[in-house]
Amino acid sequence: MPKFKKVQLVLAGIFTILFFRFYHLQIYQHSKYEEKAGNNSVRKISIHAPRGIIYDRNGIPIVDNRQIYDLAVIPFDVTSQFDYQMVSKQTGVSSSELQEKITRGKESFHRFRPVPIKRHIDFETRSHLEENKLSLPGTIFSEFPARTYPDKAKLTHVLGYLRVVMDMTASIPNQGLEYKLGDVFGFSGIERIYESILRGNDGTEFRLVDIYGIDHGVYQDNPGQQPVPGKALHLSIDSKLQSLIEDLFSGKKGAAICMMPTSGEVLAFVSAPDYDLNSFAGPVPIELWEGWNSDPEKPLINRGIQGLYPPGSTFKLLAAALAKEDGVVDKNWTVNCNGVYTLGDRDFHCWNDAGHGTVNMDEAIYQSCNIYFYQLIQKLSYKNWTGMAEKFKFGVSSGIDLLGEKRGLVPGRSYMNRKYGKWGWATGNLLTFVIGQGDVLVTPVQVAQMMNIIATRGNTKTPHLLLDSPAEKISVSLKPLTWDFLQQSTWDVVNHKEGTGKAAKVIGSEVHGKTGTAQNPHGEDHSWFAGYLVKDNIPILSLAVLVEHGGKGSVEAAIISHKIFKYAQKNISL
Amino acid sequence: MLRKTLVYNNILSKIFQVPDKIVFRWGILFPVLILMCISLITLKYTSVNSSFFSSTFTKQIVWFGLGSFVFVLAQWIRIQYFQEYAFHFYGILIIFIAITYIMPVIGGSQRWVIVGPFSFQPSEVGKLLLVFVIARVLADQKGNMNEIKLLLLILFMALVPALIVFKQPDFGTAIVYGFIALPMLYWSGIRSYYLFSVIAPIISIISAFNIYIFSIWMGVLVMVIYFNQPKITMGVPQFITNIGCGILSPFIWNNFLYSHQKERILTLLNPMRDPHGAGYQVIQSIIAIGSGGIWGKGIGKGTQTQLRYLPVRDTDFIVSVIGEEMGLLGIAVILGVFFTMLYWMIVYAGIISNKFSSLTLIGFASILFIHLIVNMGMTVGLLPVTGLPAPFLSYGGSFLLSCMLILALSTNIVNHHI
Repeated sequence: MPKFKKVQLVLAGIFTILFFRFYHLQIYQHSKYEEKAGNNSVRKISIHAPRGIIYDRNGIPIVDNRQIYDLAVIPFDVTSQFDYQMVSKQTGVSSSELQEKITRGKESFHRFRPVPIKRHIDFETRSHLEENKLSLPGTIFSEFPARTYPDKAKLTHVLGYLRVVMDMTASIPNQGLEYKLGDVFGFSGIERIYESILRGNDGTEFRLVDIYGIDHGVYQDNPGQQPVPGKALHLSIDSKLQSLIEDLFSGKKGAAICMMPTSGEVLAFVSAPDYDLNSFAGPVPIELWEGWNSDPEKPLINRGIQGLYPPGSTFKLLAAALAKEDGVVDKNWTVNCNGVYTLGDRDFHCWNDAGHGTVNMDEAIYQSCNIYFYQLIQKLSYKNWTGMAEKFKFGVSSGIDLLGEKRGLVPGRSYMNRKYGKWGWATGNLLTFVIGQGDVLVTPVQVAQMMNIIATRGNTKTPHLLLDSPAEKISVSLKPLTWDFLQQSTWDVVNHKEGTGKAAKVIGSEVHGKTGTAQNPHGEDHSWFAGYLVKDNIPILSLAVLVEHGGKGSVEAAIISHKIFKYAQKNISL
Repeated sequence: MLRKTLVYNNILSKIFQVPDKIVFRWGILFPVLILMCISLITLKYTSVNSSFFSSTFTKQIVWFGLGSFVFVLAQWIRIQYFQEYAFHFYGILIIFIAITYIMPVIGGSQRWVIVGPFSFQPSEVGKLLLVFVIARVLADQKGNMNEIKLLLLILFMALVPALIVFKQPDFGTAIVYGFIALPMLYWSGIRSYYLFSVIAPIISIISAFNIYIFSIWMGVLVMVIYFNQPKITMGVPQFITNIGCGILSPFIWNNFLYSHQKERILTLLNPMRDPHGAGYQVIQSIIAIGSGGIWGKGIGKGTQTQLRYLPVRDTDFIVSVIGEEMGLLGIAVILGVFFTMLYWMIVYAGIISNKFSSLTLIGFASILFIHLIVNMGMTVGLLPVTGLPAPFLSYGGSFLLSCMLILALSTNIVNHHI
């Protein structure tokens, strides 16, 4: 073979090897590298679905969306004319720190990737920085969804707040929904309970991005998906009433819950003190959180469903209802109250040291005589009494659409045996229970619910915050006579000239109620008032007001209730 | 005055002569036109963002025009001139590439000679000069020199400039210098076994990185020596020398290579070793080529290229752009026309009886060949990243000019003899 043929043959061989290497990559491994090329340049961009807006019952928005921004800088684009002072002034990040971050970024391989400078800046700061864009080359802003609370009503504990998904294993409430890092989710309150409604579905978009992160438009081969905005929520809250009560509670501790008795809709829900939902956006700053946590006033506790209090005299209605229902005592059975009652070697006092004189059941209720009930409870069956408490939904959670509700405690026989031993307790304990003291614990929402039941003669619904939601029916069946009595005696509490709840009276409307004074080892007694307002023969508003350390029920709580009733008289109708 | 003119005329007549004929050898030229077209189309779309006059596309057209002018001019060169003054040129080459050591460092290496506003890379045109001197030495032999001595002489002549440019550092050009001697030696009739014996230690050094490859290579070595070396006293030392080279390999690794060269070799062995650093270019290049498929993504539509994931896409990695946008089809065209060009150069070299001219053609073909193979091998991860451009494809003025000069002189030689 001539030499040149040999050389050509070797040449052909080498070219063939090279060709097969290309063949291998471009045909055999084509799909693998096609995918890799796509991973390089096609970015899946998530389009935030706007979260649902929350309205009150009259369509007034109480939670809305706003954008806040994260400021970042692409180190590669930062030039010598970058105004470090300006950024420092606007964001509070020291200019030496800025300079260091950017210098470090410029040296790194990822000099085209944004370096975060400051999170959660507001629109105003952003606008200010945008105006000076020319002296701030390389700055970019990314949007971050936050909530804003446009109404005067704060409704803090009901609304709850959002958190950001920091790591995927953390406690995300709704596991069924898909979350990504950096997503927000409802962490408490309504935001959490109705997360799946409010959240919507994030859309996706595929965009071509070059190595510098510069966008080159939508990727034609995959159109992505449009975001589905979160649905709006209409709460049963009346925001005007809510803010009125919030004002009444300023400087006080306690809770107030107003409901529509027939439907169980919550019209107002106040727990004081509260915290300011507008004071943070995104993750709660640690200082703020620790401040709330260590605050002796405990603003984080939702007193309406988590505050456990002795119900005081409001609980007397249960014994009265039982006595009427079972016909244990007749109408003429009276008790002579001289201010003190002795059982065994122990003295039990009435709140009125002078005594009420001879009282029947009705009088005992509107004057809130303890002595009468000390004697009445001894005629009643303990088991039936706890049974009546359960009928009125004490000792069980009300089922309101909020998380973390406490059940309270109606101490039954087995509970007492467990706690004190079979011989460790006696009738004396029952004497404290019947007037709502001792081991008995209730939440304000339970007390308000009791008023729903009385006002509707046992035909109400589970308390709920979402308007038009199919709430569960509650029916309590008692004899009509019993209902008559309960309604009459609660009317007397407010309207009789000797009634303890006179302060709650509203001229021109039918107000029922019951005061309560919950003894409390930590200081002044807690003040209760629970009642309802009837307009045109229909109960339109029930309430439970608790003022911690508010003194006697007839004072603080009744005065607040009076103002609520006055508002309701004018503004609430079915 | 007259004397001066005579001397002047004398020099001119040494360098230039009126060509007997100017015939375009389309076997060589047609491939170049196709390659230039592919190159320009590619550059047109990689330089969309720059203005017309500053774009690589426009500049490459200008360089190609200039190259065509050089092509025509070079037809008037008297080719024997290079034979007569080959040693002078060799001296000049050594001096110029040595001068770069006192020149300022540009981009981490000293490759350029800078005189006032002008700068040039002597090692570029030096490739041609080395071809001339090797061709001259080989052509001068009339069987009066020991084959082995001749072999060693030629290798020495090639390795001196190769080592100098290696230290600049310019690994790619050093490979070119080291390589072109081998085909020319073979062409001059040196026994293949001797050539093998010269290459064997280099393979021993490289294969020592992997004990299995080294073992296989040793087996091959023993077979070749057994069948070709009649004297055991020569065969055994040769074998031992090769083993010694393998053992010395780590020593060479630690003491002679620059860290960026080590990095490139390690990256070749495993591109994922440092996906953001040295391996990045190769990974992106392979992705670009692999994602191109048979037909390519379309001119100007390669995501790897147009979104700049592919680095140095105008020069070193232009083949990757072609692979991505024109697919295997484009690659096949490149390989096909390149093969045609080299094929015809070899054919002509076989026909021409003048030893110097024939060897020069082979040397030129070797230059083009080694550039293409090293460049394309680099883009598919078969060879380390050396920064050798692809002839007639990569953007770059002086390299295109020297490629055009190679083409021109080859045409000149062929026209002169055939």
